Amino acid sequence: MIDTTILLVIVLMASVTYMTRIAGYLFLRNRTLSPRLTQVLEAAPGCVLISVIAPDFVSGRPADLIALAITVIAASRLPILPTVVIAVASAAILRQLLG
Amino acid sequence: MSDMTMPVADNRAEFFRGLRVSVPVLLGFIPFGLLLGSQAGMKGFSPLEIALMTGFNFAGGSEFLVIQLWTWPPAIPLLVALTMLVNSRHVLMGATLAPTMRHLPRRKVLPALALMCDECWALGLDDARKRGGVLSFPFYLGLSVGLYLSWPTSAAIGAVVGPSLGDVTRYGFHMAFPAVFLVMIFGMWTGFRAARPWFVSLVIGALTYLAVPGPWYVPAGALSGLLAAYLWARSE
Repeated sequence: MIDTTILLVIVLMASVTYMTRIAGYLFLRNRTLSPRLTQVLEAAPGCVLISVIAPDFVSGRPADLIALAITVIAASRLPILPTVVIAVASAAILRQLLG
Repeated sequence: MSDMTMPVADNRAEFFRGLRVSVPVLLGFIPFGLLLGSQAGMKGFSPLEIALMTGFNFAGGSEFLVIQLWTWPPAIPLLVALTMLVNSRHVLMGATLAPTMRHLPRRKVLPALALMCDECWALGLDDARKRGGVLSFPFYLGLSVGLYLSWPTSAAIGAVVGPSLGDVTRYGFHMAFPAVFLVMIFGMWTGFRAARPWFVSLVIGALTYLAVPGPWYVPAGALSGLLAAYLWARSE
């Protein structure tokens, strides 16, 4: 069973993502991008991703804020799997301790 | 130069060379896929639905974002706009890969680009540079196919497991998502200077979240970061 709303979102996502994949090849291959545009494009994914998790930084729950700080440190030096384990474990333990 | 160069046996060897190179990266994909799938399952996605999303879209950052922001009914224009924004880096990647594909016809390149992800772009470009700037097409395909197949598969498995976990915040699983996003962000880290727009996004995003109900903190944070990147960029 496929929900039609989900299907619509999938089709729209897939279309815009495919456009981003072919646009550089089709339209920019014989052109040099301005350094300014290059820097904006390089910053874009990070800007979106950090905005999505911005609420976690102001959650107001001490247990979660400390766990988030631990997670930031872990993510800056470890691969995905140990980072997630540390994040989940510290959040669980700190919620037990601090509520 | 043209695509007549390599005989079939070489094509096969090149394809398998690509597949071999992709294995360590592929293993790294699996935990991301399982996590994405389990979170999608908790938001009400069936394994088939998340497999279709990851299979047709095949761009992890945007899929994590859509699942994270998913509500019923979903804010479709916002989700699609953010997908485009987070994947806008592909434009740059395609532009840098294009010179290595001059020997290939468009009918081969356009379907092959559907498989272009950060990892196969980086590995493919690196390999092309070692061979005089010419991309080995079967190598690129071998590289991409392994990565491509592992992604929807692991996400679907995650969606089977996910809903059985119950109230995830009790076990600290709510911290898994920020962890994944932070790993992705640090993966793009090239230095504090280049990261300054991200701090702008974080601050504006957080303030907007506190001040305005709804998902507006995402576009507000993202656009303010882009504006900061534009203003900070030295246009020499």
